[in-house]
Amino acid sequence: MQDKKVLEVNHLSKKFGNNEILKDINGTVKSGEVICVIGPSGAGKSTFLRCLNLLEKPTSGEVKFDGTDLTHVDEKQLINLRERMGMVFQSFNLFPNMTVIDNLKLAPIRVKHMKDDEAQKVAMHLLDRVGLAEKANAYPSSLSGGQQQRVAIARALAMNPEVMLFDEPTSALDPEMVGEVLEVMNELAKEGMTMVVVTHEMGFAKEVADEVWFMADGYILERNKPVELFDHPQNERAKDFIGKIIQNV
Amino acid sequence: MKKNLKAIIQIIIMTVAMFALTAVSATHVSAADTSLQRVKQRGELIMVTSPDYPPYEFQVNKNGKDHIVGMDIDVAKKVAKDLHVKLVIKSMNFDSLLVAIQTGKADMAIGGINPTAARRQSVDFSKIYYTGGQSFLINSSDVNKYKSAKNLKGAKIGAQTGTLQYGLAKKKIPDATVKGMDKSTDLVLALKTHKIDALGIEKPSAEAYVKNDPSLKMISSGYSLNKNETGAAIAFKKGSNSLVNAVNKSIDQIQKKNLTDQYLASAGKYMKVNTVNTSMFHYWKYFAKGVEYTILISIVSTFFGVLIGVILALMRFSKQKWLRGLAISYTEFIRGTPLMVQVLFVYFGIGVVVNIPALISGMIAVSLNSGAYVAEIIRGGINSVAKGQTEAAASLGLSKGDLMRFVILPQAFKNIWPALGNEFISLIKESSIVSIIGVTDLIYQLNIVRADTYRGVMPIFVAMLLYFIMTFALTRVLNHFEGKMKHAG
Ligand SMILES: Nc1ncnc2c1ncn2[C@@H]1O[C@H](COP(=O)(O)OP(=O)(O)O)[C@@H](O)[C@H]1O
Ligand SMILES: [Mg+2]
Repeated sequence: MQDKKVLEVNHLSKKFGNNEILKDINGTVKSGEVICVIGPSGAGKSTFLRCLNLLEKPTSGEVKFDGTDLTHVDEKQLINLRERMGMVFQSFNLFPNMTVIDNLKLAPIRVKHMKDDEAQKVAMHLLDRVGLAEKANAYPSSLSGGQQQRVAIARALAMNPEVMLFDEPTSALDPEMVGEVLEVMNELAKEGMTMVVVTHEMGFAKEVADEVWFMADGYILERNKPVELFDHPQNERAKDFIGKIIQNV
Repeated sequence: MKKNLKAIIQIIIMTVAMFALTAVSATHVSAADTSLQRVKQRGELIMVTSPDYPPYEFQVNKNGKDHIVGMDIDVAKKVAKDLHVKLVIKSMNFDSLLVAIQTGKADMAIGGINPTAARRQSVDFSKIYYTGGQSFLINSSDVNKYKSAKNLKGAKIGAQTGTLQYGLAKKKIPDATVKGMDKSTDLVLALKTHKIDALGIEKPSAEAYVKNDPSLKMISSGYSLNKNETGAAIAFKKGSNSLVNAVNKSIDQIQKKNLTDQYLASAGKYMKVNTVNTSMFHYWKYFAKGVEYTILISIVSTFFGVLIGVILALMRFSKQKWLRGLAISYTEFIRGTPLMVQVLFVYFGIGVVVNIPALISGMIAVSLNSGAYVAEIIRGGINSVAKGQTEAAASLGLSKGDLMRFVILPQAFKNIWPALGNEFISLIKESSIVSIIGVTDLIYQLNIVRADTYRGVMPIFVAMLLYFIMTFALTRVLNHFEGKMKHAG
């Protein structure tokens, strides 16, 4: 089962009006794999990630999740498939009108019809795992950015997803908080979670990624093992881009 | 300005009436005259009047209970007794009386109505039961200036809008400026504060005022008029011959026995009782009732207004184009028409199809109106919730309904709470418009107290204070909740 294809993308394209952001994207994510996606700002990394769970509707091409093409299912089926994919956003997107624990419990109760005490148990366990059990009854606005993002990860995990999508989860954080979030993601990867992570954290990518995809101009221009891609990029644009992020560190 | 406004209101009422009438004639093609039969079957004679016109009809407090009394009421009681049915009295603005019978809200309208040729075109009249004659009220200080109506040339004359006196003053007093108002109490106040020089009014009413207020004097109108312009008759919906004939029999008896003298005398007695204690405290029950209805209407309308508002707002975000269109049209239409017209429309217009009591009509109209405004506020609130919230909810597999219920609406409501609060406060104030269809809210009660006490300003002041207390209390409550929500992130 190790080689099971969780996600499979074929000839994916996405246009906003006449603006073709994704031109021809192909790729496969196998069970337990961690893929990091890098590329210049505006390359379409977020758009690509959002096409994976159909938050954005692809213009053409296939997005297969567990063998089912998401571009050809109805709204109801889509919701059922989506709950099996977790997503973490750059800006956390916690629900500010609920306490931390309620943020975690909402979807299990409403979508999975879990009993309240069971959802409570799952949620507390996950909060403990991200080191925030004592914040269960706090409102998101009283937490630091790093804490909010850890809660957001726990919230996604509460649905027991088969794959986690991360869209620049640390880029909105103050530098001293990046570590605590990456640590949680690191553990998650080591436990065998299938992950697609848009990030420019080279250290993280080198440590946990099975593959890094470099995206620009609407294509994935290069894909390779992290060490290979970061240390010996082949593509000119990739070379240029990696040179810039190394300079910035 | 005021005159223009009044003219517009008149046109509005006429339009509503026309619409209602068209609907009536459409639904009852060639209806036979069942007017008398219906009253007998029902066992009730429904009469509508405007009880702010002593001694014809006015409201008094007897043993702690409100009663509408006066000569007209005694006439109506006699009619009901002769028909062996119960008399049911409904009250509303004088302007609306004829519309009320045209639209079937009542079997007959009484209220010192002069059966003029113009009115005869739209309603049927009984025989004249009383001939009062026209007069003018003036300030005692002006007795030398206005010895008779001839001296009124070029003067400022007040009269109740929609009455004969208004038309007569315009037509018969040379160069006069005629100022129309809704309530005779307002007119008396205008006279006493010298905003007008004289007030055209029926003789019995003028006599009542003079008796109760030494600063007023009465002079004869000097008009030479035919009987139709001085006498009072009962109005009926067109084609009510059987009922009119039955009522005329009672009127014949009233005429023969001169019963109106007796009726006027007993009305006068009430008026004397009435002026003994005109302190506002003595009338606290009137105000309490007004406050009670104003609060009741406000609460019910706020509840349904928010409900309608939420539904309309959600329709605006629907995928269905026609649902969006419907919500937009509704909102635009309601916002583009005055609440007053909507109240009249619900009561008289819709009332043709289903008979809705005035209080319920008022609540429906105010709720429908408020719903449109609340919808716009909520729509703004929904738009103000960050897009990321929707995406986060979708990524968790939440349905659209759950997304709205648990994520978007709670946040939207928090954002729009101050705006909603404003809407609730203005609802308390604007609900006062329902008094035109006779709902006994604070404004309506205020006018009753003014008519009752012959005091123009004090009741207004009390009502103002009461409105302020209500809105201020609501503001405090809203602030309390706002504070609570702030705490919750
Ligand atoms: N909903 C949208 N409508 C129109 N243009 C969009 C929309 N979302 C993204 N874009 C455009 O698509 C391009 C890629 O955006 P994005 O996927 O966010 O890039 P990245 O995440 O790589 O920085 C940008 O030029 C952006 O302006
Ligand atoms: Mg992005």
